[in-house]
Amino acid sequence: MSMTKEMAQQHLKDPAVFCCRRQKGLVISEADLEDPDIFDDMEEAGLLKLSDDGLTVEQVLGSTLTKDVEALTPITKDVLDHVHEVSTEDKKAPAASAEPSVPAETAKTVPQASIDNGVLHIHIDQAEKLSGFTLDIPLPKGPGLPPVSAAGPASAASAAAPTGKKKVIRTLVKKHMKITDVVIGDETKIENGTITIDGSIVEKAVKEDPLCKSLALDVIKPDQRHVYTNTIMDVCPIATKVEGELGEGVTKVADGVVFMLTGVDEDGVQVHEFGSSEGYLDEKMYFGHPGCADKNDIIIRCHAVIARKSGMTRPGPFAAHKCEDYIIQAVRDQLKKYDGEVVREELCEDCRREGNPRVVLVKEIMGQGAMHDNVICPTEPCGVKGGQKNVDCGNVPIMLTPNQVRDGSIHALTCIGPATKEMTRHYIREPLVEGLAADPELDLIGVVFVGSPQVNDEKMWVSERLGTLLETLDIDGCIITTEGFGNNHIDFIQHIGQAGKRGIPVVGVSFCAYQGQLVVGNKYATAMVEENMDAGGFENNIAGCSCVTPEVAARAIQMLKNKMAGVEVKPAPKKWNNAVINANNDLLGLSETVLVDSGTLH
Amino acid sequence: MPEYIFPLRQGVGAPSVPCVKEGETVRRGQRIADIPEGKLGSAIHTSVSGIVRAVTDEAVRIEAAAEQTKDYVPLENADPLSMIRASGLVGLGGAGFPVWAKLGKPFAPEKKGCVIINAAECEPILSHNIDSVEKRPEDVLRGLAIEMDVMHAARGFIAIKKKHTAAVAALQKALAAYTGEKPVNIHLLPDMYPMGEERAIVREVLGELLPPDAIPLAAGAVVSNVETAVRIHEAVDLGKPMIDKDLTVAGKLKTHPGETIVMHDVPVGISVGDIFQMNGGLDEYGELVMGGPFTGHRTEIKDPVIKTTGGLIAAECFPKGPEKIGLLVCACGASEERMKELAASYGSEVVDIEYCKQAMPVRNTRKCLNPGKCPGQVAKVLAIRKAGAGAILIGNCSDCTNTVMSCAPQLGLPVYHSTDLALRAVNHKLIRKIHIAPES
Repeated sequence: MSMTKEMAQQHLKDPAVFCCRRQKGLVISEADLEDPDIFDDMEEAGLLKLSDDGLTVEQVLGSTLTKDVEALTPITKDVLDHVHEVSTEDKKAPAASAEPSVPAETAKTVPQASIDNGVLHIHIDQAEKLSGFTLDIPLPKGPGLPPVSAAGPASAASAAAPTGKKKVIRTLVKKHMKITDVVIGDETKIENGTITIDGSIVEKAVKEDPLCKSLALDVIKPDQRHVYTNTIMDVCPIATKVEGELGEGVTKVADGVVFMLTGVDEDGVQVHEFGSSEGYLDEKMYFGHPGCADKNDIIIRCHAVIARKSGMTRPGPFAAHKCEDYIIQAVRDQLKKYDGEVVREELCEDCRREGNPRVVLVKEIMGQGAMHDNVICPTEPCGVKGGQKNVDCGNVPIMLTPNQVRDGSIHALTCIGPATKEMTRHYIREPLVEGLAADPELDLIGVVFVGSPQVNDEKMWVSERLGTLLETLDIDGCIITTEGFGNNHIDFIQHIGQAGKRGIPVVGVSFCAYQGQLVVGNKYATAMVEENMDAGGFENNIAGCSCVTPEVAARAIQMLKNKMAGVEVKPAPKKWNNAVINANNDLLGLSETVLVDSGTLH
Repeated sequence: MPEYIFPLRQGVGAPSVPCVKEGETVRRGQRIADIPEGKLGSAIHTSVSGIVRAVTDEAVRIEAAAEQTKDYVPLENADPLSMIRASGLVGLGGAGFPVWAKLGKPFAPEKKGCVIINAAECEPILSHNIDSVEKRPEDVLRGLAIEMDVMHAARGFIAIKKKHTAAVAALQKALAAYTGEKPVNIHLLPDMYPMGEERAIVREVLGELLPPDAIPLAAGAVVSNVETAVRIHEAVDLGKPMIDKDLTVAGKLKTHPGETIVMHDVPVGISVGDIFQMNGGLDEYGELVMGGPFTGHRTEIKDPVIKTTGGLIAAECFPKGPEKIGLLVCACGASEERMKELAASYGSEVVDIEYCKQAMPVRNTRKCLNPGKCPGQVAKVLAIRKAGAGAILIGNCSDCTNTVMSCAPQLGLPVYHSTDLALRAVNHKLIRKIHIAPES
């Protein structure tokens, strides 16, 4: 259907197509042009063929038609008396509110200060509602980067809001202990930066659970990544409490080393069959992502063989995690007393910033059972022992403080579809938690973990509990994330609806991409951030590929601020388009989202 | 003896109040119902001489005497507006707004108001108005002149489609002999539906597009249809009450298949069945439509002709429609209810109802934001297809239909138009894609 003036402003750079038959002599206005939002549908239906010589909306507005033209015809210069020349300079000119997509070049060439009044264009692609979310966000003032960046003055939202008075509730110090080598030896100890693990410990560890049939340890150095690996069940840091409970006091974290759990059953079937990540390690892990090993990390691989056909049950995979935890605990015990070099001391604060917008982060986690589970609040950071399983808790929302999350309150039982799952390491350094907690313009009330049950009725029930929680917290906004693809999106969109119908500004963060059309949507899902990093836009088999990254977090936080400040978030194009994401990255001064070609290209 | 029925609601306003009793003998032209006191409404007169057989809340029924005459009980002589009020005249284009009320507030002189005679006769098939223009253009002009006087208008227009060359020529001839002081001009219209919509006429003639809830008065204009002007002349100059009606009868007629028959001065209150009988009787038909193909409604043999009846069309039989159908409802054609009625007759289940985005709800009806100028329909058509419809039923104007025809067939959605069966009954070209004429 034809456009209004406002709509036309948002589509200035889109193709101009007559919505209806128009006659010679007509002075073209927005009322004559079809809404570009439905071009994808029209093309798919064979109703429209856009051509290269077609003009854009801004080029034809006000021009006079020199011939009668049929409906649904792209406008070309041969039917017009003149075409508006739109110079590059014009495009850059901060035409107040409605500068549309342009992002890439504009943002790069223009100094940050002049992004003022530009548009933040964030995208998520998918179809239906969720899909293809592109968000164009006019930035009233400064780029409003996450706090760390000293670059900008306070961003839009903040300009209006008072800067809250900071009140620290508790602190946590994470001491990152330098580890330079790992060897499998005769006893477990840490000396001079070298972790030695007693090779025979696997015999004791395997006794932790009868479903675990055998365990094997080996060490993978940064220069030896091209080794075969069975499916990656988890990446787990070595962290231990030396003072206080989870979320406070002092925690030591081994720096430069992580555990990686892999597993098969006695028949050699991958625990994550189908949707596993077995293969060459260098091709199956997204090194550097929050949930993964970093490029220079030493990886202690713990390979578990579990009972025949127990891979698809709850106890089987859990047995592997439990046994691995026994081994890690032995190392933790050594780490507690190790007094070596501290690479970095990280101060984490749980605090209130009264007067700032009250926000919560909601993280939807796997809760369907089998390996789709999470252990919450174990005794030791990232541990298993002492924690409660999310599924056993009925998947109900559980509130944690930012410090508790950052102190390893979640031990993840990563399931099939490794690219979109958050592993244990992810939570101890979750970019959204870090970003929101440190943001001087916000008041992060807490982080809600909510499970995703298997059964649809239970999903609704859980989502309603979440809605009530959000309402009673009296928040001004929230970000909701999900991991996985498909089943979890049913809960995800319910959660967004629960917030939305209570009038709470909500930003969704998810992997959607190419198959976004399969993802359900609702009218509240208007601000969505895409996590995809696969070139084909599919869920690939690279562990940790499409998850919350610092860039995703920065876009989401800015989008939330804009939403709360009432700044329009423009709708995304229907089809996933990574350029939209990068345009937004550019506007925020973030690095480009480079996609990985994993063979899912179509 | 035939019975004539005079419903007490024959136009806009409160129902008329009967002023005759059962058993009373009445003469053609005699008032049988009054304007309800202090309200908007109109008087009703009998078109036949005879005996009142029933007076109900709904209607007055009169058994006609065997002998009928052309003459009638004349209106009392008075000033023009009073005579118009007494005549029971309502807008005869279809809406039925009491003419005395419409002409009740003269234009302020500085307003330079105008009266426009709507001779668009926009509905296909209907042709009695153009016929009157051709046959009695001076009566049309006389009616216009009276209206201009009553309204203190500065000018007058007759808006007529360019394609009616004979009527235009007749008008020009009559205008040459016209001696009035105030200028009267002919305004030629393009041949598109719905040029006859009141606001479309104002837009075409005065260049002002009124909002959907406004009446022409807002643009300093009063719009009357051709027959209304003629009947004004009859009321004021001849003292004739509104008892006779011009009609177009067409469609599945036994002895005149596919013909379009113009009837002048049909007595109001006569039954629909009698009208068809007078024209040779009905062949097998799908439905009877009172009014034009676009905006008419279903009627039955027993129903009476009323003041606003303009057409009686026996439409073609309904073929079996698709299993599932989607409706695209607009303000210029069939209403949602009418479309549902048609879908049911086609034997199709309605799976989606979309409204044209220009169809704005105004009071109890819908008005088009910009009549005859399509706002685009692709999104609606896509939605209807998505709903699983096997075809689409539309009632749109020429321009909007053209847009639908630019996409629905490509989507494999056959297009049905609410006017199809009426038009097929007279072998009229169906409302479909507009073929652009070569440049002239």
